[in-house]
Amino acid sequence: MPDLLAPIAGNVWKILVAVGDKVELDDELVILEALKMETPIYCDDSGTVTAIKVKEGDAVNDGDVLLVIG
Amino acid sequence: MTDWSKVFEVFSSGIIGVFLVMFLLQILTQLSTRVIDFVENGKNGGAPEAVPVPKSSADPAKD
Amino acid sequence: MLDILKELLFSSGVVSLTGGNLVMWLVSFVLLYLAIKKQYEPLLLLPIAFGILIVNLPLTYLMEPEHGLVWFFYHYGIEMDIIPPLIFLGLGAMIDFGPLIANPKTMLLGAGAQAGLYVTFFAAVLFGFDLQEAGAIAIIGGADGPTTIYLTSKLAPHLLGATAVSAYAYMALVPIIQPPMMKLLTTEKERKIVMTKLRPVSKLQKVCFPIITAMTIMLVVPPAAPLISMLMLGNLFKESGVVERLSKSASNELMNIVTIFLGLSVGATMTAGTFLSPKVLFIFFLGLFAFIVSTGAGLIMAKIMNLFLKDKINPLIGAAGVSAVPMAARCVHKVGSEANRRNYLLMYAMGPNVAGVIGTVVAAAILLQNLG
Repeated sequence: MPDLLAPIAGNVWKILVAVGDKVELDDELVILEALKMETPIYCDDSGTVTAIKVKEGDAVNDGDVLLVIG
Repeated sequence: MTDWSKVFEVFSSGIIGVFLVMFLLQILTQLSTRVIDFVENGKNGGAPEAVPVPKSSADPAKD
Repeated sequence: MLDILKELLFSSGVVSLTGGNLVMWLVSFVLLYLAIKKQYEPLLLLPIAFGILIVNLPLTYLMEPEHGLVWFFYHYGIEMDIIPPLIFLGLGAMIDFGPLIANPKTMLLGAGAQAGLYVTFFAAVLFGFDLQEAGAIAIIGGADGPTTIYLTSKLAPHLLGATAVSAYAYMALVPIIQPPMMKLLTTEKERKIVMTKLRPVSKLQKVCFPIITAMTIMLVVPPAAPLISMLMLGNLFKESGVVERLSKSASNELMNIVTIFLGLSVGATMTAGTFLSPKVLFIFFLGLFAFIVSTGAGLIMAKIMNLFLKDKINPLIGAAGVSAVPMAARCVHKVGSEANRRNYLLMYAMGPNVAGVIGTVVAAAILLQNLG
């Protein structure tokens, strides 16, 4: 089951999905903010969002789990 | 009149100088990284209760 | 009654106005517009623009040596080399050298971009500038404001206004200047390269880095001492974690205070007499040239390194070797994600970006050693 990991360190700017949403490859799921720049994070696979591990405004590190997709 | 030999001297010594200094820094950074790795891993392996050293090991505790 | 009015009129500045003053007002208004409306580096452009305005109001003698208020700011702050190193202290307290420590190879990219600076030096001499002036113009390509001001005030103080304004203006224009060069010198395939993950950097490494770097650079190129010592002290404040108050003061209050005096005094050097000459236009042109060549040199350096590396780097990060932190790194990230939207180059680009700051200081010190 692929987890969506944060590719860079930054703050969670927006979460664009909710638990239970069906997502597909290349959907924009989360927007991170790093160095005053918004970076969209895309879905790597299709599936359903089963858990959201962060909330908007959280600081995340490189490699932290953002969402769990099942 | 422009002193062209001086111009070339500044030009070449500048480029070479910057590269040498930055290369030296690269080597020293790599070297210190290696030494520090060695020291920290040694500590972690040797004494379990020792020092909260690498920040990376503290990170997963966040969530 | 009429006589008094007449006298008032003739002792006022209005009658001493020259056409040049009016042109400088216009320059000031344009910069004010760019700062306020467009928000191009407003922290600096705003005080600079106001500085230009006030020295071009005649008979105020604000820049009169030994008398004028702004002259004292200029004399003690810039001529005596106090402000640029203090800004570096604050910068050091803000910069995270982690991405550079994690990937020390990118140190060379910080050097690569400086090659462009020496090309510009050459070009400026061809344009008829003397060697000192050429050195001051070339450093614009390093894209570092305080270093530009520091070097210009030592080599060619009469050009200070022009070099400082063009350095800050082009830094704000990085997102426009750099991408065409990046796309020209790299292929789509190269831009898609995803880099290997950076290794974690421990606190001890971050603490050791400023100490080792400060010692090395000051031993090898002593003229870099004022800038590099302050930069690394600021960084040590930050990374040591034990003097948070000093680190915060350096990067906030102190930096803000000296920025006011820096901007105002740089602006105040631009009187109509010194600024309105064809030379200044050439400086702006050469400054842009310097920026473009430095970007190109960084990219080419990255491509050369790829010939030898097993783990290929994305050549785009070479463009971040000019030191405009973090504008250049952001720009790299953006161009990279256009080619491959799962390519997150930001942190990889921060390595060469902060290396560029060190590289520019070293380049400036070498110029100073040769030309000072």
